[in-house]
Amino acid sequence: MASMDAISRNLMLDSLKEYAKRRIPYDLIRELDEKNEFPAEILKEMYQHDTLGLHLLMVPAEYGGVSGGTFDIYRVCEQLARIDLGIATGVFATFLGTDPLNVGGTEEQKEKWLKRIAGENLLVAYGATEADAGSDLVNLRTRAEHVVKNGKIVGYNVTGNKQWISNGGVADLYTILALAPGGPSWFLVERNMEGFSPNKHEDKHGIRLSNTAGLSLDNVYVPAENLIGMEEGKGLLQAQAVFGYTRVMVAAFGLGAGEEALEQAIRYSQQRIQGGGPLSEKQGYTHKLIVPNYVRMEGARSYIEYTSQRLDSGEHGLQTEGAIAKYGASEWGNKAADDAIQALGGYGYTKDFPVEKIKRDIKICCIYEGTSEVLEMTIYRGRWQEHLKSRGRYYLDMADRLDQVHATEPKAGAHAAALGLRALAAVLEECRVQKLTRHQHVTFKLGKLICAAETAAIFSTAAAAPKYSETVRFDREGWQAMARVFAREAALNTALEGLALVLGAAEQAGNLADAVNIEAVQAEQKGLIADMDLVAAKLKQTFKAK
Amino acid sequence: MNIVVCVKQVPDSTEVKINPETGHLIRAGVPSIINPYDHYALQAALELKAKHNFKVTLVSMGPPQAKSVVQMGMALGADEGILLSDMAFAGSDTWSTSYALAKAIKKIGKVDMILAGMQAIDGDTAQTGPGVAQQLGIPQITFCEQVEVDGRRVIARKQIDGGYEVLEARPPVLLTMIMTKDYTPRYPSFLAVSASLKKPFHVWSAADVGAEAHFLGLKGSPTQVSRIYPPPQREKAAMFSGSGQEGAGKILEIMRSEHFVE
Repeated sequence: MASMDAISRNLMLDSLKEYAKRRIPYDLIRELDEKNEFPAEILKEMYQHDTLGLHLLMVPAEYGGVSGGTFDIYRVCEQLARIDLGIATGVFATFLGTDPLNVGGTEEQKEKWLKRIAGENLLVAYGATEADAGSDLVNLRTRAEHVVKNGKIVGYNVTGNKQWISNGGVADLYTILALAPGGPSWFLVERNMEGFSPNKHEDKHGIRLSNTAGLSLDNVYVPAENLIGMEEGKGLLQAQAVFGYTRVMVAAFGLGAGEEALEQAIRYSQQRIQGGGPLSEKQGYTHKLIVPNYVRMEGARSYIEYTSQRLDSGEHGLQTEGAIAKYGASEWGNKAADDAIQALGGYGYTKDFPVEKIKRDIKICCIYEGTSEVLEMTIYRGRWQEHLKSRGRYYLDMADRLDQVHATEPKAGAHAAALGLRALAAVLEECRVQKLTRHQHVTFKLGKLICAAETAAIFSTAAAAPKYSETVRFDREGWQAMARVFAREAALNTALEGLALVLGAAEQAGNLADAVNIEAVQAEQKGLIADMDLVAAKLKQTFKAK
Repeated sequence: MNIVVCVKQVPDSTEVKINPETGHLIRAGVPSIINPYDHYALQAALELKAKHNFKVTLVSMGPPQAKSVVQMGMALGADEGILLSDMAFAGSDTWSTSYALAKAIKKIGKVDMILAGMQAIDGDTAQTGPGVAQQLGIPQITFCEQVEVDGRRVIARKQIDGGYEVLEARPPVLLTMIMTKDYTPRYPSFLAVSASLKKPFHVWSAADVGAEAHFLGLKGSPTQVSRIYPPPQREKAAMFSGSGQEGAGKILEIMRSEHFVE
């Protein structure tokens, strides 16, 4: 679905912010977090059509929704994460649970179930994970057996156990992945079906406002018309078809929670006087705890937007892009939240300040919807194929495009980003020649390097563009300085870590140091401190002390 | 009855700071919002609409992005939206703005009541609403905290020092509204925002409303802003607790030590 116009989207975001301000103050969130309690009333209220109708974003207009596109959903997910990642997860579970229907449902199924989800404000849960089937769904144990009447399949008896299901204990409707005789398939299971029961609510490290529970299905009879798509064996394809898009949502969670933690630290740093001045004036503080983190989050934002816009323009899949968006946003967000605690010192370590909770919450972004390690592998696999198919040109061509960007706008870090991409191409080629991808560690580490180098390319391209996205809260000078800081770091890490990776695995090093152009990458670091000074000043200006 | 509500998009003043060197507002990253007083005026109009089935039309003047406040009002229930947007309007002071808004209201046709916020939080002049009434030559009631309609009578409760007055007017009349809990603003649901796109929305230029160029913009404005600056910060006052006599004693002590009295 294409995204809506910016004005409508921002009006919806304003309504969400205002609702949260009035109904979900931090004191309430803190209390619910302590009690490990799911705020059922708030979720239901957020779904009410005349309050917000949040779940309607995922439902096409013809079934009673508002037809949100990926960009809209990214923005709402980011805002939800700024409010509370547990509540965000409860909403996300409905989005995710609705996805198999959106992707694979027949017209009749959409007509019936999407209209019910929209009209009756149903909380939905997505039931895929099992004890032996997490990132790898091949070992699925839940079975769906045919129930035959008069020679015709009239339904299925579904038996098995699911675990760590968001909204598991509270949903009205579940999309359950089970192994049918024809292969893995999605089934619509209602809470009141006989033999279906949710287990206890998990006592989690973070996102404690999100209900997470196992599900027991004991010979649950599911009518044949509840098989999504009315065809067995399509389940894994239907699940994979939306990974690009669902991972953008979790990426938005990492971005929202990570930036929120940093913004609280930036505001605090202007009031906290130490050593004769506010912390916000001290490089030892800003250039370690704030600037590099904020810059990485803005890099993640550009990649999320780049992927969202491609999905909204009708491209399908984009699994590698979704993985890059999520991996970067969640890993960098997690680090940002950790540093935000450090930035608030003793206050940050107490529950009086939200950064402590954000840090506990955001860790989930590195785990659910594909762990960071699975994503490293996904990113590597996707781009390794591109490297081979293009005979090593994939990143060299991308670097050439960045050269053109640099020629028109030299201040956006495109030169550094191009250096990073060329270093990456050299590292990948050396891995191919020396067959180093037989080491799993090498492949996963390549996934990490690819994420940063590609994000740098996208960030610099966005920062060089004549017009910025509605989400950019900085002036051109500030955002371009951020893109330069990001691109320098990505180029340096790609060259140095790539070199170290090859040296650690290879029989001989060859002349990789020359191939990654280490000298040019080092020379590109000139001006870094001045740029960080500028970014620190812009952050202070934008996120003023309250 | 036909009600027109005048709304303005303003920077969220809680986020705005002034650059002390240039005297300019630092607007980077500052979100725009509906002027809070206008939001209350809009809510008052919507409540009258709910009670009497009146038609509510929104009028705003601003750059194209000011459509946002008009669309928000339509999402909340207004029937129609008009945005006066034209480079000719840029830099208009309160007099020029009142002139342009009055021209637009005349073009709308039969209007019985005009509601506006008491003032906008970016300029704080409280002149534009009354200016529109003057331009139209209709009565006005300012600082209203409540408005009712009884037949063809408009009854307004106007806030005054230490109390309120109840005033009555025959339409057409203009009222400026203050912020009271009777009209706590609402925010639209996702569905309402989506549905608002189907409501009639028009962008009118200076020519569309028949406004004469020499009364518009910076050149047409009788008021020129020479400088904006933050008020100098006052030193923190010393507070004394205790009885009046004790307090007076302490003040006298300070006055003596500073040689104000011997």
